[in-house]
Amino acid sequence: MRKAILRLVPPAMGSITPLNRFRRLDGSQIRAILHAVFILALMIAALATPGFLSGPALQSLLTTISFIGCVAVGMTLVTISGNILALSLGATVGASALVVIAASNRSGLAEAIPLALMFGSMVGAVQGALIGCLRANPIIVTIATSVLIYGAAQPITGNAAFYAVYPTSDSLLNARLLGMPIEFVVFVAILLICQFLLSFTVFGRNVFMVGDSFNAARAAGLRPWATIIGAYSCAGAFSAIAGIMLALRYGRASMEFGLGYDYSAIAAVLVGGTAISGGQGSAIRTFAGMMIIGIVQVVLLLQGFRQEWQYLITGVIVLGVVLLSPPAGR
Amino acid sequence: MRLLSHNQHTRPVVLLATVFACFALFDFNQGRFLSIATLTSELDTFCTIGLVALGLGATMVIGEFDLSVPGVFGMAGCIAVLSGVEHPAMGFLLAVLAGLSAGIIQGLLIHRLRLTSIGVTLGGLLITVGVAYVLTDSASIPYDNLDVALAMNDQYAGVFTSRTLMTIAVFAIVAVLASITRIGRDVVATGSDRNAALVAGVNVGGILVGIFAFSGALSAMSGALLSYSLASASPAGLSDVLVPAATAAIIGGVSLGGGTGRPLGIAAGVLTLAAFRSGFSAIGAEPWVSDITTSVALLFVSVLDAPALAGRFRRLMHLGDPADLK
Repeated sequence: MRKAILRLVPPAMGSITPLNRFRRLDGSQIRAILHAVFILALMIAALATPGFLSGPALQSLLTTISFIGCVAVGMTLVTISGNILALSLGATVGASALVVIAASNRSGLAEAIPLALMFGSMVGAVQGALIGCLRANPIIVTIATSVLIYGAAQPITGNAAFYAVYPTSDSLLNARLLGMPIEFVVFVAILLICQFLLSFTVFGRNVFMVGDSFNAARAAGLRPWATIIGAYSCAGAFSAIAGIMLALRYGRASMEFGLGYDYSAIAAVLVGGTAISGGQGSAIRTFAGMMIIGIVQVVLLLQGFRQEWQYLITGVIVLGVVLLSPPAGR
Repeated sequence: MRLLSHNQHTRPVVLLATVFACFALFDFNQGRFLSIATLTSELDTFCTIGLVALGLGATMVIGEFDLSVPGVFGMAGCIAVLSGVEHPAMGFLLAVLAGLSAGIIQGLLIHRLRLTSIGVTLGGLLITVGVAYVLTDSASIPYDNLDVALAMNDQYAGVFTSRTLMTIAVFAIVAVLASITRIGRDVVATGSDRNAALVAGVNVGGILVGIFAFSGALSAMSGALLSYSLASASPAGLSDVLVPAATAAIIGGVSLGGGTGRPLGIAAGVLTLAAFRSGFSAIGAEPWVSDITTSVALLFVSVLDAPALAGRFRRLMHLGDPADLK
């Protein structure tokens, strides 16, 4: 009897089981499900961790992600424009911090902050000019710029930190806005500016087009070099903001401030799901990536994992998220 | 200039000869650059960076990039020091096997899942750094077998150490294999045009996995040898190797676009970088002079390699058709 019924049922209908439904999903649907499962698991782990929702833990999380977050937002623009790995942004953070402390000691913060911003932007623009106008390789140019900045800083600083003559952290960065640290507010402002640029301006549209195909963008009448210079200038300026905030918080500046920021920033960009080959992504995604990495680190810390295990587990999670990203076009 | 910009094979040799000639002229008859001490220092730098540059350069030749080399380098040093006190050879072997395994896993992930090498090797970098911190409890560790450390630094013919000789031997073997076997040709073909290589019958997947395994093994070998030589290991790595190795490979004629580069060119690139560092040190210059000179040289090479340089130059000189130079 059962065999007779099965003969009447079309094979396709007869094979609809949860497992088969899962098998019929395409790659992007499976990745979306796995992403959702991962985020759900992370949220459960965070909420189940004693002390995670406490004020100090959240304040610490928001402050920590703000500095690297500014660099990551800049890295997002560069990545979407099709130029992977701006390895000079960490050096730009340190150098901008030096500029703001040195300038504020001479002429006050009102002049020092715009000067540091201009410095970061110019450093980015020069790299963007080499990459955009000459099509020089972005990895080589940014590695060389990083070595150049660290090398040039040595005779200026004598490998020592610059200290602010007047205390800076009391007046500015200990302030709170709606209970949030001021660094986080600045980071969110940068994030929104970047997302606005990407979503609602001609520059943002050009960044996506150039990242998708440099030659197609040129054939469409765009000036890809100008877009790339713009993307690197913004990345330099955003990194300078991170440097300024670090300098003001600690009342000193050192080239050690930006060490390792490049890798942390690109990890946030990748975890957020921005395409490393360019042409896709958003600043909001990078914010999500930054939050995921930050939450994982806070949860591990509160769960009593030592720092070495935090490094390892963060690495495994970054690799796991990278494995869930769509295949690269080869 | 034409030799520098158009011939990737002669460029490393021309650059190396130019750097040596400049230092020799600057140091005329003072015996600071052309001395045994400076040569020994150069060879020491060659050992630390050389093998990493060879592995990283190989990944660049196939059009990929291995970001995990500093992590593997540091992790291998820790493994060798922790496991090689009683049996140094076993410690060395374990370290190389760990690097090899890391490279194979990364290569397989990149090939099978068709992922970008930057993403996968960034994950590999973070994991190998994490493993090194876990193994050492976040502390630098001494290597108690000082006999091995002394033997590693024993000098032969006045300038060579065991480490130098092993590094030179690896370069020689790889150079011979690359020039007389199919592997070298297949590697270049894979980097030049992956689809064409596939159509021509090249085992592209095997080459990709093999090159990442090669890079991992060489980084591990270099890290283990350095740790034995300095009788210590640190999870942070005893030396920053990624930037110098990438710089040396690029100066040595490797193109990040893939399909270009030879082992002997990379050796010349490493020696050029080593000459910069040791040469400036020998003539009494501050370390930053070497950093700035190296970065300017790297920017110069990147501009020379830039695909749009000729077009921009013609436009500047009003010699070309502006229409194709937009």
